[in-house]
Amino acid sequence: MTRVATRIVTWAVLVLTFAIFVFPLYYLIVTSLKTKAELFQAVPSLFPHDPTIEPYVSVLIARGFLGLLLNSVIVGLASTTLALVIAFAICYPITRLPIRPGLRGFVLNWALSLRFLPPIAVVIPYFTIVRTIGLYNQIPALILVYTIFNLPLSIWMLKGFLEQIPAEVEEAALVDGGNRFQAFRLVILPLASTGILAAGIIVFAFDWAEFLFAFILTATPQSMTFPVGVQGLVTQFEIIWNDMAAGGVIAILLPLVLMLFARRYVIAGLTFGVIREK
Amino acid sequence: MTAGASGGTLGTAPAIPPSRGPLALPARIRASWSERSRQERLALRLLLPMFGLVFVVATVPFILAVIRAVTSDTGTFVGADNLGRALSNEQLYEAIKQTGVYGLVFLPTEILLGLGIALLVHRTVRSPLVRAAIYVAAMIPIVIPQVAVGVVFRLLYIPDYGLINVLLGQTGHDQILWLSNPSLAMFAVASVDVWQWTPFVYLIMFAGLQTVPPESVEAAQLDGASSWAQFRHIELHYLRPLLLLVLFFRLADVLRVFDHVYILTGGGPGTTTQFLSLYLYRIAFDFSDLGQASALAVVVMAFMTALYTVISRFLPADTN
Repeated sequence: MTRVATRIVTWAVLVLTFAIFVFPLYYLIVTSLKTKAELFQAVPSLFPHDPTIEPYVSVLIARGFLGLLLNSVIVGLASTTLALVIAFAICYPITRLPIRPGLRGFVLNWALSLRFLPPIAVVIPYFTIVRTIGLYNQIPALILVYTIFNLPLSIWMLKGFLEQIPAEVEEAALVDGGNRFQAFRLVILPLASTGILAAGIIVFAFDWAEFLFAFILTATPQSMTFPVGVQGLVTQFEIIWNDMAAGGVIAILLPLVLMLFARRYVIAGLTFGVIREK
Repeated sequence: MTAGASGGTLGTAPAIPPSRGPLALPARIRASWSERSRQERLALRLLLPMFGLVFVVATVPFILAVIRAVTSDTGTFVGADNLGRALSNEQLYEAIKQTGVYGLVFLPTEILLGLGIALLVHRTVRSPLVRAAIYVAAMIPIVIPQVAVGVVFRLLYIPDYGLINVLLGQTGHDQILWLSNPSLAMFAVASVDVWQWTPFVYLIMFAGLQTVPPESVEAAQLDGASSWAQFRHIELHYLRPLLLLVLFFRLADVLRVFDHVYILTGGGPGTTTQFLSLYLYRIAFDFSDLGQASALAVVVMAFMTALYTVISRFLPADTN
């Protein structure tokens, strides 16, 4: 009897928790599908009575957020690629070649310590640099800053994946007469490709979500990223909730889809690869 | 090619004929040593240029911040003037206090809640399908951009249209001004943090619970250990390094908090949710006092680096 009672209580707690976590998102989606008329009803509804995609069209076309979306994608792809290439160049020697443990430890420790620096403190000198070299409100500035910002995570994730490849595989290739570059290109790279892709997805999702740097280093739609635009919707056009919600949904959509592909690596990504799913 | 030809030294060791006698051994060891140092040289040649570049690019801003912190807008040396101005601003201490309160509100809540739910799911949910569903659901808040999270919670907390106020209104209650009431604003922004990051704690704790060997739990249960004793004496042992890890990342995040607060309250009402990061933003970009902001930035970076040095010793991460 008490066992049944505890089971019922625990399931009730779980369902309630689940509802608390999901309901805010539900309300966001509902709001983004409402018409202007429905928005200003005396009592806001919990269901869209006349679902419409008009807020999405309004945000993307009329307000021109399609351009911001494009900026976000360009910045994300470029800086993800750069960060991965640099991280790989750093990780290959420290995982696949004999190197003094002290040096290896220094590189990894230093990278992890960057995670502790608050972006707002870092962005203040960046802002001065970017303005001095004439890159203020330019996409390349964001690409550069995002690359540095994402390097620590990229280094730690790639290090984790590269370490998993047994030394024997590479040695076998070397014994078979290949040189180190061939062993790298034909053995290591293919074996690490899943890990590289996973790290790429996580880093891209972080770039996509980044707000503070873009907010401070850009000023016009020419280089603004999507989250900066959404922030503008909130603070400048507060009353047009359906557009604001549509902007939120669009911002959420891409990371959600990416997460479904890389779900096994999300936790690794958030904990610098310290925790890895089996 | 050369690397490959001799790279197999270790692998081909058995091929050396034993008949060569004791003389061959030192030669082989010498060969393997020089091969090793050759490989190490290769490693350094690959690592140092790239790492050096990255290190310089990442360190230059810090040096520039230090320089800017001791100079005026026109570039003349002013010593500790900027720092003095920063430290004599009472709003700084207000910001530090609010940041502390915020951390003290959300950190324990997230950790206890996440741990509690993880234990609950671990002990009651057996179906792999339900577990997988919870896994994916828990990941959703984590991967959502902070700006979008700000939007979500605006739709909950704003007057008239906000979901909570709608529900209050329909049940005959007065509206609550979550974002403009000084004593509620802190709760409102902290609740966002709890909503977004409790699932993160949950996922890590749940993963940790899966590493507890079932035998030791079963043995304890046979001995009649209570559910609490089972947690306290067995499970907690396996979770301790993970709890440290969670604390490490969430502690680093206390000073990162910006996006959702900026969108929800902008630091207000008054300065009640003006945390350190928002305060630095105001000094640097609303008041354009880059000297004072740089001085603060340097202090914050130095403090966080010191904090990192202390905490990282206890991390389960492999840094050696």
